[in-house]
Amino acid sequence: MTDATFTIFLVDDDAGVLKALSRLLRTRGYEVRPFASPQAFLDGHDPALPGCAVFDVSMPGLDGLSLQDIFKAGGNERPVIFLTGKGDIPKSVRAIKAGAIDFLTKPVSDKDLLDAIARAEEIDAGARQMSADLTAIQARIATLTPREHEVLTHVIAGRLNKQIAGDLGTVEKTIKVHRGRMMAKLGVRSVADLVRLAEKAGISARAKS
Amino acid sequence: MLLLHSFGRAYSPWSDIAESFHSDLIKNSSEPIDFYEVSLDTENARRPDQDKPFSEYIQALLGGRRLDLVVPVGAPAASFVQRHRVELFPATPMLIVGADQRRIPVSSLTPNDTAVFLAVDLPAYIANIVRLRPDVTEVAVVIGNSAIEKYWAAELSSNYRRISDQVDFIWLNDLSFDEILARAAAMPRNYAILHFLLSEDIKGVPYSQERSLQALHEVSAVPIFGVGDYEMGRGIVGGPLIQSKMLGQLAAGAARRIFAGETPANIKITAVGLGTPVYDWRKLQRWNISEALLPRDSIVEFRETTAWQQYRWPILLAATVLFAQTLLVVYVLTQNRRRRAAEAEAAEQRHEVAHLMRVSVLGELSGAIAHEINQPLTAILSNAQAALHLLAQKSPDLDEVRNAIRDIVDENNRAGDVIERLRSLLRKGERKAEPVEINELAKSTITLLHSELIGRRIAVETDLANGLPPTSGDPVQLQQVLLNLLMNAMDAMVSTPDARRRITVRTRAPEAGAVELQIRDRGPGIRTDDQVNLFKPFYTSKEHGLGLGLTICSTIAQAHGGTLSLLNHGDSGAVALLKLPVQEMMVAAK
Repeated sequence: MTDATFTIFLVDDDAGVLKALSRLLRTRGYEVRPFASPQAFLDGHDPALPGCAVFDVSMPGLDGLSLQDIFKAGGNERPVIFLTGKGDIPKSVRAIKAGAIDFLTKPVSDKDLLDAIARAEEIDAGARQMSADLTAIQARIATLTPREHEVLTHVIAGRLNKQIAGDLGTVEKTIKVHRGRMMAKLGVRSVADLVRLAEKAGISARAKS
Repeated sequence: MLLLHSFGRAYSPWSDIAESFHSDLIKNSSEPIDFYEVSLDTENARRPDQDKPFSEYIQALLGGRRLDLVVPVGAPAASFVQRHRVELFPATPMLIVGADQRRIPVSSLTPNDTAVFLAVDLPAYIANIVRLRPDVTEVAVVIGNSAIEKYWAAELSSNYRRISDQVDFIWLNDLSFDEILARAAAMPRNYAILHFLLSEDIKGVPYSQERSLQALHEVSAVPIFGVGDYEMGRGIVGGPLIQSKMLGQLAAGAARRIFAGETPANIKITAVGLGTPVYDWRKLQRWNISEALLPRDSIVEFRETTAWQQYRWPILLAATVLFAQTLLVVYVLTQNRRRRAAEAEAAEQRHEVAHLMRVSVLGELSGAIAHEINQPLTAILSNAQAALHLLAQKSPDLDEVRNAIRDIVDENNRAGDVIERLRSLLRKGERKAEPVEINELAKSTITLLHSELIGRRIAVETDLANGLPPTSGDPVQLQQVLLNLLMNAMDAMVSTPDARRRITVRTRAPEAGAVELQIRDRGPGIRTDDQVNLFKPFYTSKEHGLGLGLTICSTIAQAHGGTLSLLNHGDSGAVALLKLPVQEMMVAAK
């Protein structure tokens, strides 16, 4: 909760529960956005905000697990915590497998809930960091010229400059220059770092021709 | 013709003999007969020296007319005629009627005389008494004190001396009539009275037989036996009696023959004895004398045919009908009572089964109901912990604390409501009859099923009419019906795609005086096979069904004066229709 903007998206069809949980979390300094139905949540959710979602499992129309599926299918990585009226093991397994932080049983103690939220916060922060890193890498990759990008794929495939030059129909010296510029643009000094970065960016090594 | 009475006209037995004679003669004679009637003064009858004025009186009465026949009735008259025959009736034939044979010897009769005598078998009277009253040891003989009675008394005592070993005789001729009555009233059981003749008591007071017998009959503590048929029906028990009527008739026959010209000498002198024993049935009853004691050929008169004897068959029939009716009434009453007991028992059992079904339904719903309680508990816990946290801060936001606590109270009430609802359904309380708002009932039942509906991914839509009048009944039982119908609707939709799982609850007033609740599901509807068996106990189309749900619901509906029916909806699914009378109508019906 170091970040004041960490927002908890609370979804429960039970007005009393929704109100109480909102109050509890607000007193703990969280920003809370309560939703009385899954649809209201889907409509009002702001993925840009850091935070986590707390879903009630048993809701009319769309239950918590289905909501999770729809939510994830929409590309959202936001961590989800489930609250359920009854300990339902198959459901909890399914939820955790789908990436849920926790599956808590009502009535839930503040400690359990806050612990789960704290974990969610961490995960969310990590995810956000990762996503920020990736964005930076991709930005750097975008600065590469097509030739440099081409050289990149060959380098991470473990080819020597000489071999690359042969593959590309040029001289080793030219490859050396491209390689040097590429490494500088991407801010890496070793091939190992380059491979790690390329992996992160999802750039695959060029297959042997 | 001159009829000469021994006593006054009203003196039995002669008056009766004379009457019989007179009427028979008139009835059976072709020619008119002039009757002259005179009565011998009783004094004269006793004292022959006093005959003279009487004979002069007769002469004056006849006024020189020639008589065809002189008929003395009784021995005193006969004696008088014999004494004055020459001067009064020298050539007139004489017919003696009713005189005792012993008093007028046949030898004293002339050829111009004939007689229908009276033959009295005195011992026969006593034999009759002893026969009917074997325990009688004393026979009180009522007899007067006139000359003729003295004669009879003497006759009797000489006759009865012979049989005095059987009974003792008490002669009442030396008593006044009042004394006789007093004696008769105080006689013990071993006494009997023989009413012989009482024309004059010791004091010289004359009595007619009729009067004396009647007075005696009224007071006597013991049975009275008589001597003549004229006493029959006047209080005597009966027995062999003087046949005054027959005597009169025989005499009349003789008189007609004399009128017809026959010489009296040709007419056989007859003596009429005691007749066939005749008894008065009423007196036999009165003195408790069995008819078995009577002589074989005796006659019982005045038999009061009891209603039983007279109307035996109608009575039997009526009694049978009455008995059958009574049986029927008793049967009907018993059946009625039995039926009522059975009905009460059935109602009690229905009540029990309904309760068991509720318990079973709630058992099925236990998870969902636990959830219903769990929700407020969750809210309470969170509110409480929020409040605690707020209070732990340096400057707590007390307004928010207050709000939290207020919410705790609300949520607590909500949990309490669920428990109360549950309790009332689980309770096996008395059946109540109170106003029930069908809309409220529907809402409350849907609330109870909230979690179950969510769990089964079933949506409920309601269409409740405004301003419906309340019905009357047991809210718990009615809620049970709704609960069952909703559960059925839910069960019906297990194979329905999630998106189409919807129950529609509708209320309306289909007609004046009734409210109706419809529950429609989107299941497969009711199979034709099931349609007939829907309400049969233990019939179920569900895998784990008990087959009592609809049976119970239907009986509850009926117990509330309503109906429960199920039909298929035109589009899809089944519709359950619960129709109940509104409260006013139920009151009016009562």
